[in-house]
Amino acid sequence: MDTSSSTAALLELAGLAKTFPNGTLALRGVDLTVEAGTVHGLLGANGAGKSTLIKILSGALEATSGEITWRGERVRWQRPSEPKAAGIATLYQHIPLVPTLSVLENVFLAETTGWRRTRQLEARLQRLLHSIGYDIEMHVPVGDLAIGQRQMVAILQALASQARLIIMDEPTASLATAERAIVYRTIKHLAHEEGAAVILVSHFLDEIVALTDEVTVLRDGAVVLHAATKDLDEGKIAAAIVGRAVEAVVREQRPSQQNTDVILEVNRLSSPGKLAPCSFALHAGEVLGIAGFLGSGRSELLHAIFGADAEAHGEVRVQGRKIARSPAAAVRSGIGLVPEDRMTQGLVPDFPLWLNATLPYLESIAWRRVLISHRREIELARQAINRLHIQAAGVDVPVRDLSGGNAQKVSIAKWLSETIKVLLLDEPTAGVDIGAKAEILRHIRHRAAAGGGVIMVSSEYEELLAVCDRILVLRAGAIVAEREIDETNEQELILLAGGTVASGPPCSDMADTIVTGPPEGLRATSAACERATRAPQA
Amino acid sequence: MSRILGTVPSHPDLRRAFGLRAAGVYYALALLLVVLAMVSTIMGRPNYLSVLNLTNIVYQSSSVAIMGVAMTVVLITGNFDLSVASVAALAAVTHISTIDALGFVPALGLALAVSAAVGLLNGVMVQLVGINAFIVTLGTLTAVRGLVLIASDGRSLMVHNPGSLSAMTAFESGRLGPIPYPVLYMAALTLIVWFVLNFTVPGRRIYAVGGNPEAARLSGINVRAYKLSAFVLSSVAAGFAGVLFGCRFGAINPTALQGEELTVIAAAILGGTSLFGGAGSVIKTLAGALLLFTLTNGFNILNLGANYQGLIEGTVLVVAAAIYTVGGKARIRRPPVATARAALTKEAT
Repeated sequence: MDTSSSTAALLELAGLAKTFPNGTLALRGVDLTVEAGTVHGLLGANGAGKSTLIKILSGALEATSGEITWRGERVRWQRPSEPKAAGIATLYQHIPLVPTLSVLENVFLAETTGWRRTRQLEARLQRLLHSIGYDIEMHVPVGDLAIGQRQMVAILQALASQARLIIMDEPTASLATAERAIVYRTIKHLAHEEGAAVILVSHFLDEIVALTDEVTVLRDGAVVLHAATKDLDEGKIAAAIVGRAVEAVVREQRPSQQNTDVILEVNRLSSPGKLAPCSFALHAGEVLGIAGFLGSGRSELLHAIFGADAEAHGEVRVQGRKIARSPAAAVRSGIGLVPEDRMTQGLVPDFPLWLNATLPYLESIAWRRVLISHRREIELARQAINRLHIQAAGVDVPVRDLSGGNAQKVSIAKWLSETIKVLLLDEPTAGVDIGAKAEILRHIRHRAAAGGGVIMVSSEYEELLAVCDRILVLRAGAIVAEREIDETNEQELILLAGGTVASGPPCSDMADTIVTGPPEGLRATSAACERATRAPQA
Repeated sequence: MSRILGTVPSHPDLRRAFGLRAAGVYYALALLLVVLAMVSTIMGRPNYLSVLNLTNIVYQSSSVAIMGVAMTVVLITGNFDLSVASVAALAAVTHISTIDALGFVPALGLALAVSAAVGLLNGVMVQLVGINAFIVTLGTLTAVRGLVLIASDGRSLMVHNPGSLSAMTAFESGRLGPIPYPVLYMAALTLIVWFVLNFTVPGRRIYAVGGNPEAARLSGINVRAYKLSAFVLSSVAAGFAGVLFGCRFGAINPTALQGEELTVIAAAILGGTSLFGGAGSVIKTLAGALLLFTLTNGFNILNLGANYQGLIEGTVLVVAAAIYTVGGKARIRRPPVATARAALTKEAT
């Protein structure tokens, strides 16, 4: 794309900074220029500041300092309606559409004229559809559509508002291959034919390389890479996202795995539409990491193991004994799950700390498994507070009032009982402050050192590399690679999880992927990612 | 903690324990009794607080309280049961029409079994089929009443056999000292349910299932079984109350107890039970039922005319709900630091 000849940039950010009231620096002076008719890739690891930047551009947050220049004019947006009126549309990951209204009604939801002019709107939508070469039934309620079609309705909504800049936050994360192709086509059409600009946030590096004209990478709230896409490759981008070489983490002495017993065995566990048949084993004293992007099936895998997915089938064995497919059976045989969303899945928010902490193993502290000793409950809650260093005013505090890190610790404290041999953790450090994060990771190592098994899902590969003994990489619902911890690095994991082939086929037509304990398992490394792994750090 | 479970507060937060939200229903009941006592004295009527009158109030409220206690359990699990009054009538019809042939106790057993079947149906429709509890029980409310009309052919059923009649009278009108049997039944049920809810594993789980079903499920709790059992309990309790009603008159009118389900739910709401599940106390529901019947009784004794009754009762209900809601908001308001942090963790990603 010829960007040098443009006279004035569509959007220019200069020294944009955002400090949150508690002193966290989310953005430390970001410069960004977006030209009309281009696609701009915005990348960065979790917490790099992408979301904050998008929120400032969409008017949901106000920058602490710095300048925003929109079509040559300095602006200061204070509420979401202002950038919208100026011609910026933002597509969030969770699409805010009205499920009971039709496609047509959703696309023109923002139209403010008092009368319904269905015929006129139909014609407008028809023109819009024709211009991007997409077809959709106009009068179907959005709730009946597939997720990809809904994404398209959101895009159409943005187009109908005549936006000049469209910000897309991971628009393809939950889409199938065919649907992705449509989104790609639309993005290209928008930029190259309509002359609009697109800011594309994505974890899929091949998507970024194929679609964008320019790339900006954020790390710790600052721009660390800005270049024309033609001068970059996936390896360079991955290196920029990772940045510094992974800091050496003090590792504890790990027991040699060859000698320890298999504590959990998963045989051909699958779930229609979510998970291809997966097989692997977990050893006592081992921490197994699951790497994969949002929508790769990582949470689904944990839920299937735990018996919480009613549609899943396959075999799960704990210490050789096959377990029935229900959460109750899983807990009885010694599996615990710390789910991704602590407030909606892990905890009862209005209940006090002590009640939450003992919920899964009440029977074991009750006389004849029925009559609860309240003193024992309180005692256990106190022990949990001490063992995990939970900061709370007391055992009676409702967990709703705890900070993210402390609430997460309570969610983990639920499984402190010795009867739990295998702990599954889904993003245990998301939204948790650094101090709590370190303590949670230490607790995970302790569990393993005590002979337990841990399976941990995380988007932060650095964290996986610091804690795990072995890592499985998930993509599109299937295990695509297995790595011993000493033979991989963050860049390779990023490439395996989303780099080389972003759009894997859906699980149904996928070959079985069988990965077993020994390192001579399946290797899905392509030549491309081998090359990228050896690419010099940016 | 006293807010959720009725246990002795393990934390010296007495202000909360005795606050309007936590103990409002007891204050309201006490206040009402004092006011009625004063007014009746001033108006020169018989002593309102006499043992006879108080016993009478408790006796009158017993069947609503029995249904209310079970209803509280359903509400705690996050569901709703509108069918109780119809189920009570069905149980009474079953009991009265089979007592001559089967004898008192087997007929009672049959009546309770029929009630349990309706509860099971409610539970299965709600938990296994997945229909909203309000709709399902609105359906059974209507359909079971229809069943009552069919079974009774639209006429009052009466018991003529003197043996059966005396068994029924003994069951309903007997007294232990000054205490009528229905009050004892009510006290026994309330005590058992209170004990189970506060001191046992299933009790804790009933609260958890209503407080956050997904978290309960992922903690290994069989959410469906608990929610389903609550429906069965509610129906069986309603059936028992219905049998008591039938025994009182030795007869049952097919339209008997119509609309009583609303009084039952009102008692639970007056007691501070949350319609969203996860919170509630059966003792407070009992107080709520007593409050409602004290109002009715006061109107009768003071001759204020039945026309005002509905207006006053409705107002009391909404005012009580308002107090609970406003009190609840004050509690949920978080300290500014925690709020800022929560907002940050969401935004900093």
